[in-house]
Amino acid sequence: MGLLSDPSISTQNKLVDNLAKHVRKVCCGLYILGVVWLGCLALPEFNHGTYLSENALSPGLVYPEIRLDANRLAIQLLEELQRERKEHKSTTPHAWIAAKLNEFGLETHTHNYTLRYPFGGGKEYHGKNIYGILRAPRIASTEGIVFTAPYRAPSSVHPDISPSVPLLLAFADFARRKNYWAKDLIFLITEQEQLGMQAWLEAYHDGDRVLNVSKAYLLPGNLPARAGSLQAALNIEVQDLEIDYVDVKIEGLNGKLPNLDMFNLVQRIMAREGITSGYKQTARKKRRSNPSLFEKNLRQMLAMLATQSSGVPNGNHGLFHRYRIDALTIAAAKRQTHATLKGNAGSAAVPLLKAIEGIARSLNNLLERFHQSFFFYVIVNNDRYISIGDYMPALVALVACAFFKAYLTWSTLDSEVQQAAAAAVKPAETQTGSASGSGSGVETETDIDTELEDGLPYGSVLVYLTAVLLIGYLGNVLPLQQYFLEIPMGAAPLTTSVLSFLTLIGFILPFVVVLPAGGLELLHVGFLLIFGCSLIIIGLLNFALGFFVAVITVPVVIALDTSEQNCSGSMRNLTRFITLLLNPMVVVYVIVLAMSFYQYPELKLDKLLLRAATAAMDASAYGLIDNVIYGNWLYFVVSTVFLPLWILCWTLSLSKRRDIADYSDYEEPQPRKPQPEPQAKFKTN
Amino acid sequence: MDAKFFKLLLLGGAVRFYFVRTPLASLISDRVEFATPLNSQKRMKEGIYLLDQGIDPYSGDLVHESPLVLKALSGLFLNFPQWLPLIYILLDLLTGALLYNLSVRFVKQKLQKQRLERKNYAKDTEQLQYNDDDNYDIPELVLIAYLFNPLTVLSCIGLTSTVLSNLFLALFLYFLTKGLLLPCIVLLAFETVRSLYPIVLMAPLLLVFARRSLIGGVMLSLLFAIACVIIAAASYLVLHSWSFLDGTLGFIFYFRDLQPNIGLFWYFFTEMFEHFRTMFLITFQLNATVLYLVPLSLKLRKEPLLLATVLVALMAVFRAYPSLGDVGFYLALLPLWKRCWKYMAHGFVVFTFFMVTLSMMGALWHLWIYAGSANANFYFGATLAFSTGQIFLITDLLFAHVKREFCLYNGQKIMIDGEEARILLK
Repeated sequence: MGLLSDPSISTQNKLVDNLAKHVRKVCCGLYILGVVWLGCLALPEFNHGTYLSENALSPGLVYPEIRLDANRLAIQLLEELQRERKEHKSTTPHAWIAAKLNEFGLETHTHNYTLRYPFGGGKEYHGKNIYGILRAPRIASTEGIVFTAPYRAPSSVHPDISPSVPLLLAFADFARRKNYWAKDLIFLITEQEQLGMQAWLEAYHDGDRVLNVSKAYLLPGNLPARAGSLQAALNIEVQDLEIDYVDVKIEGLNGKLPNLDMFNLVQRIMAREGITSGYKQTARKKRRSNPSLFEKNLRQMLAMLATQSSGVPNGNHGLFHRYRIDALTIAAAKRQTHATLKGNAGSAAVPLLKAIEGIARSLNNLLERFHQSFFFYVIVNNDRYISIGDYMPALVALVACAFFKAYLTWSTLDSEVQQAAAAAVKPAETQTGSASGSGSGVETETDIDTELEDGLPYGSVLVYLTAVLLIGYLGNVLPLQQYFLEIPMGAAPLTTSVLSFLTLIGFILPFVVVLPAGGLELLHVGFLLIFGCSLIIIGLLNFALGFFVAVITVPVVIALDTSEQNCSGSMRNLTRFITLLLNPMVVVYVIVLAMSFYQYPELKLDKLLLRAATAAMDASAYGLIDNVIYGNWLYFVVSTVFLPLWILCWTLSLSKRRDIADYSDYEEPQPRKPQPEPQAKFKTN
Repeated sequence: MDAKFFKLLLLGGAVRFYFVRTPLASLISDRVEFATPLNSQKRMKEGIYLLDQGIDPYSGDLVHESPLVLKALSGLFLNFPQWLPLIYILLDLLTGALLYNLSVRFVKQKLQKQRLERKNYAKDTEQLQYNDDDNYDIPELVLIAYLFNPLTVLSCIGLTSTVLSNLFLALFLYFLTKGLLLPCIVLLAFETVRSLYPIVLMAPLLLVFARRSLIGGVMLSLLFAIACVIIAAASYLVLHSWSFLDGTLGFIFYFRDLQPNIGLFWYFFTEMFEHFRTMFLITFQLNATVLYLVPLSLKLRKEPLLLATVLVALMAVFRAYPSLGDVGFYLALLPLWKRCWKYMAHGFVVFTFFMVTLSMMGALWHLWIYAGSANANFYFGATLAFSTGQIFLITDLLFAHVKREFCLYNGQKIMIDGEEARILLK
């Protein structure tokens, strides 16, 4: 008889009982399996070579027609632009760009948008994008392709990429003379980095929507002209017309990626034009160390996952993904060494222009949106990838630990609780309910009796869970409340103080509210289920984030143990300490600290700590702003999912029980020890 | 009927009233998991408007609600649309109250029956028998399971007409336990003409009212058929056209709308070659109606209400356009079988299945429809797993019932040659 019709009359399952004794070993095995599996994917045997699925793209089927005159135009435009830049130190030379687009015969429009920055009393910023539409000669304006270049003013802190604009304009001039376009081409020059891009996209897609002006933060306005449904977009960031290599950036908002076909297309065409190009391409280093293929692949993979995990797009292309438009950035780096100069400066940009032309013509061939190839992949090498079916098992193995442990905890729950309840009846009766009175108010004396009868205190655990989730939800809502916004305080201290306050409540909560007998075990099961479920969902939406969080947290989750026997073991204290370290705020701080250590290795430790603290505060504020303006989920996930989970985990690692009479004098000093640490951090924050 | 009952009802109403005023309500009424082509509120509105304008609502392919319901609600929809949520909430609370009363009556009947059979029971089986506490516990659990199940709450605030179906089903079950024949038959005929599948509930009805008498069975079936004809005729009088038959029953049987839902039909019929359609249509509809009917009726002939529970559950899994509101309804009936719970081995697994698959549905729907990166296969995977979970639950309930029956007469611990005995289905 099978799984469904278990023939045994007895409700006690021997297999489960035996497994329950080895739950940690099995979970550790699963954990190691998951991590090793992901490592193995870097081996060439486990990943696949890329290929083009979409036949319509046919990259490189046509000879590039763009010639030296386009290059000459680009150089001339760049010179003009440099002159303009001397006059416009911190603004965009809109007039010049619009005049050029008009001169080439494009339908030129400007787009105004407003940002109402909510924090610190509120400020307004205005911005302006310029775009020109080349109407397709072969078809009505039903579909379009976007070519965009961000413009950075000379005062910007980011590297200068002003040559992208002349390059884009030169290509526009070339494209306008051709009659084979089957899709409208939009040439867009944005300002203020991603904000301009986001405003333009919002205006393009929802421009006619009536906004609630008092609540909206970004007022995108409307566009005077559109070009049908956008099929693909190419963002160009060129540091100089003489380029060294091209870095193809693909990671978008919330870890979304463009279709693998689009990446492959760019790689193929770049290769044909003889440009060194690749994913996370960097300047060729001296041959100091020669890492093995496995190591290189693994580094590449982890680098990609790390970029994805924050959910912040690493270029303007990332915002297109939200609107189901496949997009990527080609970021060309300036040539460093002039000694190895091949051609003369007069034709330096021709390969890049040819590549852009090739990409444009391939995209022009598209019959429908990109859909053939993968959307979920990890690139291990420029021509090798891992598909979702191969990498998902790693996450599933990690998450399976939680479900497995939950099942075994649950199936051994009844017997344990009966024993515990029998032991607890006496102390529970003698105790005057000092703990319950100060608690959530739901657990009253009378409940104890009924709970012991029913076995498990579902009600109070449910209330506890709801309260904890509410704390997380507040973290998401509170910083944007009107009365908080009116406080004349910057975004960073405001967000940080709200989050620290909520963390502090979570930290104190298990000391104040003590669950009745059996409640901890039930909470444990509930925690494991919520943990597993949310990691699966996060992993589906953004694999990198889900996986990294799982790798960090699953060991603690495995180590959690609420049973009374080994209440004061060193293992228990270690778990408590690590749980404290895994507080989302501490984790953010540590990540920022590590990053600033790599960026400024010359700083002294105390300065570094302080700098990291301010940077972490800024990071949390940026997270919130990204959330409300771009729709980045990271802040939401951290405050609404990870913070409640941490509070639950902290409660479980403390395992405070109502029924142990001598608990207070024996155990109390222990958990207090790590307490000053996080508080000290909050103060430095 | 005590104070707690009213408190729970009030609380259930308050929860619904709170959520119906949040933006969640409009979100839910557009979710495919809750609103199917049959029960969506938007379609109902459209149908009422068309009917009011004197246009045949079924001439398009949008409205699939019974004309009687459309006519009955038209006054409400057209004149007092702002009261609509409140009416739906009240109807849902009524369903809860009916389920409560039904379970009170059910437990009383069980206790009576037990008193007669007690001498046959084995000694150590008090745990398996219904006792006096169950008079309060079981109805309360049923009420809680109906009022506070997120699935029914969301289905109610989405204003789906599943609220009405649940009400009619609850009424039917209530009259079934009460032993009132005529209301039972009328309600069943109405639901059958409205949504086809409840026809299988004839089996428990026959078991209750026409046990051991063939003539009685035939008479009842005839009566049922007449009731169906009368209701169809009443619908004709409302509409002056027979198009509603194809618009409701035909629409369900031929599965014309391939919009994704939590069921098993849509994916299969999207992928299928067109010339196999008829065959698979019949296979699938047989699976949803008569396939399990005969064996289950034979096995559960002594427990008509359990039969009804299982049939309602199977209906919710296999019907053409299932919604989560249907699932919520049969979940509320499970506490009636509290004394079988001891043998239900997969409760935890099923709960985990439900939790994971339901939350995955949201994520995968987003990835498929909005982000465009996932596709139908991902979403179907989640719904398939959800259906599997439900099947686990139903099988588990049936098997637990069989084990309980056996142990009730043979004792809970049976040793053969010093080893624990095992039950085999042979």
